[in-house]
Amino acid sequence: MSTEFSAETELRSAVERLPANSLKPLRQSALTGFLKTGFPGVKQEDWRYTNLQAAVTLSQRWLSADRGSIKKLPDSAASVLQQLQEQIEADWIVVASGQAFLDGSTISDADISVRLLSTDPQAAEQINTADPLSSFNAALMTDGLVIRIASNSVIKRPVAILLFDDSDTAAALSNARIVIDAGVNSSCQLLEIHRSHGAAEQFSNTVSQVNLQAGSTVALTRIQDREAHHLHTGRVAARIGADASFNITSIDIGGALIRNDVAIDLAEAGADVTMNGLYLASDNQHIDNHTRVDHRVGPSTSSEEYRGLLNGNARCVFNGKAVVHIGADGSDAQQSNHNLLMSDKAEIDTKPELEIYADEVKCSHGATVGQLDPVSLFYLRSRGLDKDQATRILTSAFATKIIEESPVAAAHDYLQQRSKACLERIIAGDSK
Amino acid sequence: MLKIRNLHASIKGTEILKGLSLEVNAGEVHAIMGPNGSGKSTLAQVIAGHVDYEVTSGSVTYQGKDLLDLAPEMRAREGIFLGFQYPVEIPGVNNTYLLKAALNAKRKHLGLPEVDAYEFMKLIREKMKLMEMDPSFLKRGVNEGFSGGEKKRNEILQMALLEPTLAVLDETDSGLDIDALKVVANGVNTLRSPERGIILVTHYQRLLDYIEPDHVHVLSGGRIIRSGDKSLAHDLEERGYDWLSEAVSA
Ligand SMILES: Nc1ncnc2c1ncn2[C@@H]1O[C@H](COP(=O)(O)OP(=O)(O)O)[C@@H](O)[C@H]1O
Ligand SMILES: [Mg+2]
Repeated sequence: MSTEFSAETELRSAVERLPANSLKPLRQSALTGFLKTGFPGVKQEDWRYTNLQAAVTLSQRWLSADRGSIKKLPDSAASVLQQLQEQIEADWIVVASGQAFLDGSTISDADISVRLLSTDPQAAEQINTADPLSSFNAALMTDGLVIRIASNSVIKRPVAILLFDDSDTAAALSNARIVIDAGVNSSCQLLEIHRSHGAAEQFSNTVSQVNLQAGSTVALTRIQDREAHHLHTGRVAARIGADASFNITSIDIGGALIRNDVAIDLAEAGADVTMNGLYLASDNQHIDNHTRVDHRVGPSTSSEEYRGLLNGNARCVFNGKAVVHIGADGSDAQQSNHNLLMSDKAEIDTKPELEIYADEVKCSHGATVGQLDPVSLFYLRSRGLDKDQATRILTSAFATKIIEESPVAAAHDYLQQRSKACLERIIAGDSK
Repeated sequence: MLKIRNLHASIKGTEILKGLSLEVNAGEVHAIMGPNGSGKSTLAQVIAGHVDYEVTSGSVTYQGKDLLDLAPEMRAREGIFLGFQYPVEIPGVNNTYLLKAALNAKRKHLGLPEVDAYEFMKLIREKMKLMEMDPSFLKRGVNEGFSGGEKKRNEILQMALLEPTLAVLDETDSGLDIDALKVVANGVNTLRSPERGIILVTHYQRLLDYIEPDHVHVLSGGRIIRSGDKSLAHDLEERGYDWLSEAVSA
């Protein structure tokens, strides 16, 4: 479906004004691609519940500011970084306003190479522009971040990427691009921490593409913890090679309108993915998680568990699609989505989808939507805990499983603390 | 300590308790027996304050206060403890966490300082020894993956820690082998004191061999149809409940 993009002139000139590095031709072709489609509309099945076109009416307002020429890491980003460094043991890189700052990177391991996309022609060649938001991202990226893990290396210390956007005055648009390449038989742990600041409007559209070469293991925990009035779309696309294993957990505890896409390509035999997620939503938050896993070769394995807790007028969407292609015999795809509704005005649309074209496949999926278990609630109260405390304990028990199973242990305490604070806020909204 | 007068209670519009009266004084142990479905658990849940049960008439006073006015957590803090017939599993909520939170909620209510982690561990270890429970249970989720017998022991462990003034134990003996039954009975007997009241809901005479009741009541059709001393339990064991029901309706 083709949608006319209303701010074409402004968009063209915004692309023109980006720094004249080697990415220019790539941006131009991505722009051409994007202009053919525009943002996805609600008539597209995958976007039925999330009206991005209405939420992001791109105009002069968004596209006028020059954001490509920030030379120094903004102070606000530096102070968030400092706080995080005190809480999570990791090596750090900051991407501020969509632009990677290698200067402040604390990575010293010789087995990790960190570069800007504009200096890595091989990575630039593989930039993914398969969907409208990836095209939009490529058209407007200032520069991307490329992280390569050397073959046969085991990276012990997590690599944490802080994606930070600040929009104190003008509406801010950012398009971060992260490229990860895990070499043969390597293993690493990554964190994507999304934070934002500022009273103005903000739309961040990030794309991470991960390539897992044969026998590699990549752990990625993604925490989207943006301010309550900011919009965000995020895509993680991974290609998983032979006997490689990808473990991703996506946690959403912030933002106004959020759309996440996780697209997994189990490309070779023995490829494996675990994708879990947690979304905690209240007020008028809208959080949409779409995941898709393609089992192209058998045997390959996928397992997925997303959990959501909704209060107020929150609206959430879960759509998990597993496609087991012809020939992907002996594959295993497990999927589940559990939701707790704390208010009768909150709404969840959950849809697990399985398409199976292969033989000897093991698949299961299930979705539940419910309230806090009244039996457990009474049990706790009968032990002297008041209703609020009992509610807090039970909601946190529901959320904690996803955090405890998230693959980067160094971030567990931080995640527990952030999700606890978020739950406090969400439950407080319940008392009205 | 507890006075129940002409209590009528229903669930989802069905009346279960139909004019039940019972008085428990400090220092007494009362056994409540009766056929399945007679309303024993309903009585226990109403005393603990379960919101699903509606009290349509009658009164319950506890230590001179109107019990029915109190939220379940306030009843607990005021010294009422219900040992559930079917203790719920709560994965993700740590057993130690619950025990400590429960103890401190009560202490706070009584104006006592909260116990710190060290004091708490000392106390709970002692109680676990009494219940012959392995300390590893503390690390697990509340009743998570516990066997039927382990769940019941865990209930009595909670009771031993909270030292209630009035304990209502709903079929704590069912599903226990003889050794576990002795441990549970020992836990209850340890609590027995002139200041405390205990209501034992049970199906079998067996438990009463280890915990000697002062009074035995037979509950049938939502009412107490016969009260007596412990010899009544022996009669029931031999003759079943039918002779009583017949005697009543005759
Ligand atoms: N949630 C409920 N909804 C409807 N009826 C119930 C419910 N709980 C218990 N009852 C009914 O109440 C009656 C008494 O149950 P209960 O108090 O559990 O008996 P007992 O413990 O003596 O076996 C039974 O007939 C049972 O079916
Ligand atoms: Mg019962």
